[in-house]
Amino acid sequence: MKVRVKLFGPLPQTIPGYNSRNGLEINIPDGVTINDLFARLEIQEPEGYMVAMNNMVIKPTDIIKKGSVLSILPRIAGG
Amino acid sequence: MKFIRVNMSDKSSAVSEVPEQYLGLGGRGLTSTMINAEVPPTCDPLGPDNKLIIAPGVLSGTTLVNTSRVSIGAKSPLTGTIKESNAGGTTGATLGHLGITAIIIEGQAGDGELFILKIDGQGEASLIPANEYQGMRTYALTEKLLEIYGQKNSVLIIGPAGEYQLASASIQASDVDGRPCRAAGRGGLGAVMGSKGIKAIVIDREGKDTDAVADPEAFKAAAKDFAQAIKEHPMTGQMLPALGTAGLVAPVNSMGAFPSLNATNGVMTGWEKISGEALAELIAKRGGNPSHLGCSQCIVRCSNEFVDAEGQFVTSSLEYETIWSMGGMTGIDDLDTIARLDRLCDDIGVDTMNIGVGVGVAMDAGKINFGDGAGAIDMVDQIGQGTDFGKVLGNGPDAVGQLLNHKRIPTVKGQSIAAYDPRGMQGNAVTYATSPMGADHTAGNVLGEYVSGALDPLKADGQVEASRNTQIAMAAVDCTGLCLLASFPLTTPEGGGAFLKVMNAKFGIQLGPDDIPAMGIRVLKEELDFNQKAGFTNKDDRLPEFFYNEPLPPHNKTVLISDDDMDGALKF
Repeated sequence: MKVRVKLFGPLPQTIPGYNSRNGLEINIPDGVTINDLFARLEIQEPEGYMVAMNNMVIKPTDIIKKGSVLSILPRIAGG
Repeated sequence: MKFIRVNMSDKSSAVSEVPEQYLGLGGRGLTSTMINAEVPPTCDPLGPDNKLIIAPGVLSGTTLVNTSRVSIGAKSPLTGTIKESNAGGTTGATLGHLGITAIIIEGQAGDGELFILKIDGQGEASLIPANEYQGMRTYALTEKLLEIYGQKNSVLIIGPAGEYQLASASIQASDVDGRPCRAAGRGGLGAVMGSKGIKAIVIDREGKDTDAVADPEAFKAAAKDFAQAIKEHPMTGQMLPALGTAGLVAPVNSMGAFPSLNATNGVMTGWEKISGEALAELIAKRGGNPSHLGCSQCIVRCSNEFVDAEGQFVTSSLEYETIWSMGGMTGIDDLDTIARLDRLCDDIGVDTMNIGVGVGVAMDAGKINFGDGAGAIDMVDQIGQGTDFGKVLGNGPDAVGQLLNHKRIPTVKGQSIAAYDPRGMQGNAVTYATSPMGADHTAGNVLGEYVSGALDPLKADGQVEASRNTQIAMAAVDCTGLCLLASFPLTTPEGGGAFLKVMNAKFGIQLGPDDIPAMGIRVLKEELDFNQKAGFTNKDDRLPEFFYNEPLPPHNKTVLISDDDMDGALKF
């Protein structure tokens, strides 16, 4: 199934040819979790990132839904 | 450790040792305790009985990094509550180096009288007539004052908005480069300064009278560890230097909690054009500085210098809250326009948040279209010109809503919400409603709990406790002069431990971890006490009705916290 992944912080630089406007469209099997996605994208230190799926903050063990837009963002808070 | 009291009614000033009842206090702890003790709670905030109190934190002036915040307190003409607003730049460190614990401005100058308050290198105060500077915007006057008095001065200054005594008037503070681009923005303290007859305060930066540290060796070691903790924390060590606070645009939109188009949607169409990533890229491309040093002794460098397409300076520092108020709330998706609006607000001396929200309300009411950048610039400029509409806008979103008979006004106690919709972040709903300061984000931002996954932002569970804990923590941090951003490492064992050691070494005491929240609770109690005496009740601790009735897309939640639960937030 297809999902769209948008990357933030230092992540875009780790993916050659990453387009920030469109993000990455990737094909993944059903039942894949966020943790699996981190491994697939070779993201180091996944605990440093927050993931939102269709505008909801989700847990690393959550299963990815078909057709989702996923945003992977550094954990950051401020003012 | 001295107080400088300046009486604007008879133009006298007096230096004294800090009175015993105020010993050990600094920053917001000092301003709130003094306001509660010395200002009649029902007084006219723009009258002679209000006091404007300027206090560095207890650590300001020491060698600890990131301690140059200055707290400014008064009764607020915007909210009618007690208010503390703090600013970065150089002033906090400057006052610390002079051994000045507080400058207290009392009374009121006569009609038409305007002064510069000068504090020299010995900590002596003098008042200099300044009528020739009437109406001047802050950038031009700050440049002039630094030419006259020397570049090694900190400047606190009001623009035309403060002179007009508008309720959103800020006190601008000079940064490391001498620009009046830092702000004690919220709560109309610029109007209080204007009502006292003071246009600017110019303070010598070369003081050599810092309060003694009880145990210098222990302080030095702990300060080094704390600086290390800042460098190692991913927020303060990597993200903030790279993107500034603008880095929040992406996560908050990704969570569907970015109040857009006057808080009618939680995601802004086109937010990627005004994100921290877009900002950093644009600034770097044009030869500006995306990782600028704005404040004394800062090792985070969250600031930026925004330049135009020709590489000319426009504004510094363009922050998340301004990008939200001038972009998200208005639908303006162009960074150049937003930067220009930021500069205008700093120059005229107004709170970018209250003003942006006011513009959003005006757009929602149909005065101009959402997204009309030129229209927004014109409206904001009118504040400086003193037109009738400009004065209404400068008085805040409630005033705009009343003029245009519009009902959707996102304020609490007159102060606008911040860049987190209460329906998308239920903990921030509690902070907005219950903070003694009116709707406020730095008073207690629960965002961190959502980003870490500890709390679900869309449910009521756990929100009251989270808001309460963060309000207590922030009240304590606000006493120290430590920058909010540098307070993130306090949540790690290394950072928290180092900070306690710093405090103990400074004062020769033995604080434990529980003493920090106790300090915060003490401050909040003073503030709640003042507000109660000023006539506020729990009925004032509510959000505007539309937050309870209008579901916010994309999650379509309303505020879920009950009135009873709100009332329990700050029960001590």
